[in-house]
Amino acid sequence: MSISLQSLITMVDSWLGEGKRVLGPKLVKPDFVQYAWLGAGSELQLEGFLRPANSIKEVVFPRHETLYRYRVDGKTVQLLEEDFKPVETLVLGARPCDAAALPILDPLFNWDFRDEFWNLRRKAVTVVTLACQSWDEQCFCTSVGLGPDAARGSDVLLYPLGNGHFAVRLITDKAAALFGSYADEDHPDPSPGPPVKFAPDAVKEFLQANFESSFWQENTLRCLGCGACAYYCPTCHCFDIIDEKSSRVRNWDACQFALFTLHASGHNPRKTQPERQRQRLQHKFRIYPEKFGEILCTGCGNCTRNCPVGLGVLNVLKAVQHG
Amino acid sequence: MSSDSRAFEPKIIAYVCNWCTYLGADLAGTNRLEYPPNVRIVRLPCTGRIDFNLIVKGFEVGADAVLISGCHPGDCHYTAGNYHARRRWMLFRPLLDVLGFDLRRVHFTWISAAEGKKFQQVITEITEQTRRLGPYPYLKFTKDGGAPNWSPPAARPRAPVHGEAQMRETARDLLASGAVNVVLGYDAAGAPAFAWKPEETARLAWNENARTNLAVYLKRKEIRALGKIGMVTPPETARALNVLERESQVDREQVVEIAVERSAEPPDFSALESFMALPPEERMRFWIHEFERCVRCYACRAVCPMCYCERCIVENNRPQEISPSATIEGNFAWHIARAFHQAGRCVGCGACAHACPAQIPLGLLNAAIAKAALDQFQYRPGSERGQEPLIGRYSLNDKEDFIR
Repeated sequence: MSISLQSLITMVDSWLGEGKRVLGPKLVKPDFVQYAWLGAGSELQLEGFLRPANSIKEVVFPRHETLYRYRVDGKTVQLLEEDFKPVETLVLGARPCDAAALPILDPLFNWDFRDEFWNLRRKAVTVVTLACQSWDEQCFCTSVGLGPDAARGSDVLLYPLGNGHFAVRLITDKAAALFGSYADEDHPDPSPGPPVKFAPDAVKEFLQANFESSFWQENTLRCLGCGACAYYCPTCHCFDIIDEKSSRVRNWDACQFALFTLHASGHNPRKTQPERQRQRLQHKFRIYPEKFGEILCTGCGNCTRNCPVGLGVLNVLKAVQHG
Repeated sequence: MSSDSRAFEPKIIAYVCNWCTYLGADLAGTNRLEYPPNVRIVRLPCTGRIDFNLIVKGFEVGADAVLISGCHPGDCHYTAGNYHARRRWMLFRPLLDVLGFDLRRVHFTWISAAEGKKFQQVITEITEQTRRLGPYPYLKFTKDGGAPNWSPPAARPRAPVHGEAQMRETARDLLASGAVNVVLGYDAAGAPAFAWKPEETARLAWNENARTNLAVYLKRKEIRALGKIGMVTPPETARALNVLERESQVDREQVVEIAVERSAEPPDFSALESFMALPPEERMRFWIHEFERCVRCYACRAVCPMCYCERCIVENNRPQEISPSATIEGNFAWHIARAFHQAGRCVGCGACAHACPAQIPLGLLNAAIAKAALDQFQYRPGSERGQEPLIGRYSLNDKEDFIR
C-alpha cells in the first residue's frame, strides 16, 4: 500500500478545511521553492527541486512572535497574558535534514528554562518527511550522522516511487490516524546520499585546539556579517526579545551581526567578523555537542547556498580538513 | 472600520512646520474659519526635518491621507529647509509609487503664517477628496487570489567581461613589489577572494559569476586594518568608490584599483517600466507577497557599499522608528528606509537583489529612484570622481508640480 500525490493533496485540503495549518514546499516564484504556509493542497510541490531554500523551523520557532501583551496605566503595569494555544500544524514534504533539527533543539529549549511556546508548538506539529533521492555538492548530512532517509524528528517518512506514489513508513504513532491505512511493510532501499566530507570528531578536536588561530582570519575574512546563514539554518535558534506596541515580542537574531554581542558600554567582545564566524562554528561543532551531546548541524547546506559570499559551514570545514 | 460608507470619516495626519503652516492653522482658528475636524496636526520644526518614515508611519497607524506642509520657497525660517525637503520628496514619491501607495492620499503644500484661509481650503479639499476615495486599506489588501500575475521581462544578458589575464598580472606585480599588502578579487565561482602572496593571484578570476561589489569591504574595520589593498574594480565598483570617497568613507590612497572591464551598459529600466504598468493596488499586493518572505537577514544591507552606518536606523530603539520585527508593516518600513537611504547614491550594481536569499526583486525599488534621479536631474550616482551629492543640495528651480 502506498499513497498517491492526489491523496496527499486531498489530505492538505481537509486539514486546511478544519482550520489547521499546513507547511510544505511551494513554488513561490519561477524556479524557486521555499517551505511556505499552503493555501490549498494544489500548491504542494514535492518534485523537481533539490530542497526548499529555507527550513521548517518556523513551525515551532516563528521569526516573530508575541509572548505577552501589557497595559501601562499610570504607574501600574497590567499583564494581559493569555493561555497560548498553538494551531495544529502539519509539515508535509520536510527533508530529513529539516526534521532532525527539531529533536536536536528540544534539550536547548528545556534546559534551564522550559520554553512552553516551543514545547506546545512541538506537540501540535506532525512532521511528514520526504526521503531524498538527489543531493548536491553542498549537502553533507552523511558527515553529521544523518542521511537521505534519516527518520529522526519525523512522524512519517515518504519514499518517492516515481509513479506519482509514495511508500509510507510510519515512525511514530502521531500520524497513525492520517497515514496508518497507507503504511507499507517494506520501503525502497535508501539512496546512498552525499559522500562523507569530514569527520565531526576531528573537527571538534581542531576547534578545541584552534580557538586563537590565524585560521579564522585566513578563511572567514570575507564574511560580510548578514544573518542569511543563521536564518535559513534548521538548527540556529538565537533570538532577541524587545517591546513593541505594548507587547513583548521575540524575533530571530544571529551571531554574525555586530550588534549581537555589543554591550551597552560600547565594548564588543567579538570585535571582528572572523571572531563571529569562529563563534558560529565553535557553537555548532564543539560547544553544543559538549553541552547537549549533539552536533548543532544537520548538513542541509542552506548556509552555503544562501551565503552572498560563498562561505557557509561546509566551506569552512573543508578548510579545516586541509589543515 | 464601519461597513456603512456614510459613516466613514477620513483620518488625515498633517505634518506641519512650526513657523509657517502651524501658524497658518493657528490663524485659521483665531479667525474662526471652520474646517473639518478630520485632521490631526503634528508640529515639527521644519519640513526639512520631516523624516520620510513618518509618511509611512502615518498610514501604518491608520491615516487615510497624509499632508506635509511648510513655508513657501524663500520663506524658510532656517533659510533652505523646505528646498531640501522638496528635493527629497521628488525622489520619495517615485518610491511610494513603485510600492503601490495611493499617491492621491499623499499631499504636499506650502502654507504661510498669513494663509489661514488657504489652510482652511486645503484641509476641506483633502477631507472631501479622501472621503470620496474611502478608507485606505494600507497593507490590508486581501491575499486571496494570490500574487498579481507579473514577472520581470527576460533579463538582459550580462555584458561580457574581459581583462582577466591583465588583472592577474597587475595583482601579482602589486604584491611582488610590495605596493599592496593584499589583493581582493574574485575566485572562479564569483566569491570574493584574497590573495596575500604573488603566487596566490593564480586563483583570482574575472568572469560573469562575480556579483559582489567589493567596495563593500572598505566599510569593515578588519579589512581597513589590512593597510594598503589592491582591489579588482569593475565599473560599478569604481562608481561606488566615487560616491564613498565624496562621502569621506574611503581613503583612496589606501586602495589600488585593478580595473577590469565590463562592456558599457546604460541603466536598464525595462523591468521597472513593465511593473509600473500594473495598477497601484496590484503593485502593493505584489510587494505584500514578496516582503512576506523577508526574514530580516539583512543580506541586502550587508552587501551594499552604501550601507556603512555603524548603527543602522533599524537598530536604533530610542525611538524605535522602524520595527525590527519581520511583520508585513515592519518589512515595508524597513525596505522603504533601506531603498530611500540609497537615493542619489545607489550605483545600481544589483548586489542587494542578488544576495537576497528570498529572491525579493529589490532592484525595482532602487530603479524607481534611479530613474527619477536620471529623468529629473540627469544624475547617475558615482559617474565621476568628486561628483556633488544629489540629496543634501537643492536648486531654486527644482520641480514642484506636485506641491499645492
